[in-house]
Amino acid sequence: MSAVLQIRDLTLGYPDLTLFRRLSIDIEAGTTLAVLGANGSGKSSFVKMLLGLIQPLSGQLTWPRGRPHAIGYLAQMTEFDRRFPIRVRDLVAMGAWQGFGLWSGLDRAGRDRVAAALEECHILPLADCPLHTLSGGQLQRALFARVMLQDAPLILLDEPFAAVDQSTEEHLLSIIERWRHEGRAVVLVVHDLSSVLDHCNQVLLLGGGHATHGAVESVLAPERLVAQGYLSESQAAWMFRGPAANQVRRHA
Amino acid sequence: MLELFTEMWSFAFMRRAFVATTVLSVSVTPVGAFLVLRRLSLAGEAMAHAITPGVVIGFVMAGLSVTWLLVGGLIAGIGVASLAALLAARTILRGDASLASLYLVALAASIFILSAAGSVVPLESFLFGSILGIDDPSLMLLGGVATVTLVSFAVMLRPLIVSTCDPVFFESQTRRPWVIEQGFMLLLVLNLLAAFKTLGTLMAVGLMILPATAARYWASTVTGQLALGFVFALLSCWIGLTLSYLLPETPSGPSIVLVAGGLFLISVLFGPLGFGARLRSRSRAGVEDEPVPYTHPFGKSP
Repeated sequence: MSAVLQIRDLTLGYPDLTLFRRLSIDIEAGTTLAVLGANGSGKSSFVKMLLGLIQPLSGQLTWPRGRPHAIGYLAQMTEFDRRFPIRVRDLVAMGAWQGFGLWSGLDRAGRDRVAAALEECHILPLADCPLHTLSGGQLQRALFARVMLQDAPLILLDEPFAAVDQSTEEHLLSIIERWRHEGRAVVLVVHDLSSVLDHCNQVLLLGGGHATHGAVESVLAPERLVAQGYLSESQAAWMFRGPAANQVRRHA
Repeated sequence: MLELFTEMWSFAFMRRAFVATTVLSVSVTPVGAFLVLRRLSLAGEAMAHAITPGVVIGFVMAGLSVTWLLVGGLIAGIGVASLAALLAARTILRGDASLASLYLVALAASIFILSAAGSVVPLESFLFGSILGIDDPSLMLLGGVATVTLVSFAVMLRPLIVSTCDPVFFESQTRRPWVIEQGFMLLLVLNLLAAFKTLGTLMAVGLMILPATAARYWASTVTGQLALGFVFALLSCWIGLTLSYLLPETPSGPSIVLVAGGLFLISVLFGPLGFGARLRSRSRAGVEDEPVPYTHPFGKSP
């Protein structure tokens, strides 16, 4: 495997708040990296830093293959305007808007790519529906199809399963698996310990001013989750001994 | 009736007014559509007031000069917008409160200056416009602004659509997202200035917002929104001007905006995305949650 992005000695935060210090990590092609942490630990800031929207306090980012023409990005849905008058197929085509040029529209190959992405996300019959008629799960599928159109070597997904049902989550996870097999690097921000972690090769745990990364099994130890402020001691005791222990132990 | 229209057309100032408002409809339609879509409808109204001090100072210094109107209005508009953005970024106030505070001061200052200077031009013509004020330089200004607006929208349309629909995604995909935002605000100020003589400061934004909000009840695509918004704006201007001629002593601005208001009301009641849709869906009990099939407002794919 080769690194899409090398991060060295990264300290991330704001002038009056340091989120974490001295993170060095390679984001490899063909891997899925889960980013986990409590609220305010810096998960979304880490994603914004990867996009170039905020600058790190110190450290270095190196793109061994050159900075990609596009970084696939799926933000949290909070700022998305669902009443905007646009059809599903046009939303998906947005993924390739920078390649359109000023005057020309999507060519035949582009339209075929849009149709294929809609098909793969199981929303082709909704292609001509306006956005406001979609359910939360259908909209998330459409946004995944837009990420497909971006055709990016690095894909950042910020809490993509926050508002979708279990069957949609399962289907979207299978799409992430396919991206990984295609050799793309996927960074997946998740907010809870769930089966989603079964689909990740590595995890980056943020919190307590530190960033810890490694294989899922090695990072998600109860004492580390408590030390980095992700779980309280009583929560850790319940989760690792209680009814949900079987699932959690798979990751710890 | 026919004689009345013949008589109306015999007046040069009425012919000018019809030409001016037709050009204005072309120009303000895309600006109004994106004001509504970007949730800036009230900010548009605030900016209409914010340009007034510049216009008034220009008038006091050089009379009804289009150049001074343009320069004064641009300085005032950009000044207020920049100051509001600065206050929102560096202080506790949010953008809407900053802009509201500044435009109220701007409006009061302009009325104060106009009165203190002992203007011979009645205040109403500043606030509500006057079709008699449309001279050759005003028409040139309208044509120039319409040209700049249409060319700018041809270039900016796609990034503007992406940034309006999903601003976070847009910000992640471009290095200078502020270019689109600031470019759009500049077009807004230019169009407010272009509409100033015909509609006045209070009514100028009405021709932008009302046709756009009315069109929103019918259109499910940006193309439909723009096309229908233009039709509504044009109808408002032509019918409004005719009413203003038929009823002497009524200013053109409120007449035009009232007609636009009528079209808005009809759209609320009968548009497929207004109350009309709710009435229809009630009659189809049990299927309200199904996605509504897409229908283009003009019966074809755009």
